[in-house]
Amino acid sequence: MTDKPPLDSPRSVNDPELERLLTSQLARAPLSAEALERLHTSVSQAWRETPALTRVSPPHGTVGGWKRWAGLAAAASVVATVLTLLALRPAVEREQFGIVARSTDGGLEVRGTFFRRHRVRVGEAIQVGDAVESRGSALVELGHGGTLRVAPASAMIVVTASELALKHGLIYVDKPPGLTEFARLHVSTRAGLVEHVGTEFELKSDDQVVRIRVREGQVRFFGASGAQTANAGTELSALSGGRLVTRPVPSFGRAWEWTTALAPEFAIEGRPLIEFLQWASRELGCTLDFADARARDTASSTILHGSIQGEIPGDALANILASTTLSFELAEGSLRIRSSR
Amino acid sequence: MYEADRELVAKMLAGEQRAFDVFFDTSAQRLAAFAARRSGLDGASLEDVVQIALIKAVRNLAHYRGEAALFTWLSGICLHELADARRTAARRPAHVSLFESSAVQEAITHLSAPEHEEPVAQLDAEQQGAAVIRILEALPERYAFVLEAKYGDGLAVADIARQLGVSAIAVQSLLGRAREAFREKWLRETSSASSERSPL
Repeated sequence: MTDKPPLDSPRSVNDPELERLLTSQLARAPLSAEALERLHTSVSQAWRETPALTRVSPPHGTVGGWKRWAGLAAAASVVATVLTLLALRPAVEREQFGIVARSTDGGLEVRGTFFRRHRVRVGEAIQVGDAVESRGSALVELGHGGTLRVAPASAMIVVTASELALKHGLIYVDKPPGLTEFARLHVSTRAGLVEHVGTEFELKSDDQVVRIRVREGQVRFFGASGAQTANAGTELSALSGGRLVTRPVPSFGRAWEWTTALAPEFAIEGRPLIEFLQWASRELGCTLDFADARARDTASSTILHGSIQGEIPGDALANILASTTLSFELAEGSLRIRSSR
Repeated sequence: MYEADRELVAKMLAGEQRAFDVFFDTSAQRLAAFAARRSGLDGASLEDVVQIALIKAVRNLAHYRGEAALFTWLSGICLHELADARRTAARRPAHVSLFESSAVQEAITHLSAPEHEEPVAQLDAEQQGAAVIRILEALPERYAFVLEAKYGDGLAVADIARQLGVSAIAVQSLLGRAREAFREKWLRETSSASSERSPL
């Protein structure tokens, strides 16, 4: 005997049981108070800027009638003059910003005079003044040292050889330690200016947020609410209202895979194994360490031959170490090398 | 119908900060929960989806005609964003935050879940969640709306009544019919799952 009705009866799940099921499966509060605050700031900003709102509550002192037309005519004549001057300007040698070293799925395009676009192929230069848009992803070797990696659907303007204005999208800057002050790259965004000191960082800008993830070194951000420094392992977000929010971010893992896939070529021919390991660990966002002294000695004394062209750092690491007496272990931001035989 | 929602939108379009705050307070967390139930997104991605959906909504407030509840209209925008997020994730490198992992969210959900009882225990927690959403999506829109509002978002009957522009008694009646429809589909689902697992 049982109190429960048979399984095939529609009453075999009673109301309290059904309500418990629905509550346990449906009740969620996934956003933290901090996340809600971030959302409030950005959505509120978007609401205030909505055109429908502007139409309902026009700002005081709106220009109307003949004054508006006169203003438009004046603006049109200025635009026509600027376009004419641009078309007639002599071809001048512009400073080079960098060379495209690799690209995928359409790579980069540069917008020239009168909005014509042309694709920048591998080996071709990007110059100061170029308005660059990415169809696919691309690696650019910078004239002053280091690299710039660009994700698809990004847009930027090269302001000078050491300054970039990111309009929107996702980029990754790698300026290895040891470069001169002159080699620094400044990136301006709609939320402020990013300045770094020998570092690797990722910068994302879209309608809602400007986000910097510092992988190595240090970044200084100058925004509407002042300056803030972010160290390696930090994500700094500049929200629409000007507020800055930081949180920890790992320097390794899937979030960085897109940058690793665009790693510059490392020429191994004639180079000690230890240099390759240092390069690979940096690309993977890991610290390099040796489990035993023999492993370190082997890495220092082994000279590499051949090429790893076309291989991503993780694959190259596995392939190269397979031909040595060393093995490796990648875990939680550490690349550990040990003697295997 | 939906008079309260139409009025709220009109006030927002007139620039009333108080109206915006009411809109945000009643929609943001609820929309995030709606998206969380229908996706395995981590906290950061979920926040992104909700942010984009809400921004698109406030930019298009003038297009809200009051033909459905404001939250239903928001849910539609959110579903589009979820689809976009899935497409983008398939195309682009994923950005996964280890600090807001869905595994942690899942563990919390499991901790708060009641002990499974027969015949509910026919499905494990994950399958149960998916089955509940599947059934809700197969129910008439108003049934799904009231069940999700009552049990998912914890809204009082009076609040649901205000959103739907009907009386509290009408909502009670709607809830009863919605539960009955859900129960029938649930039993069908659990018995087919049971027979698939241990065929007699």
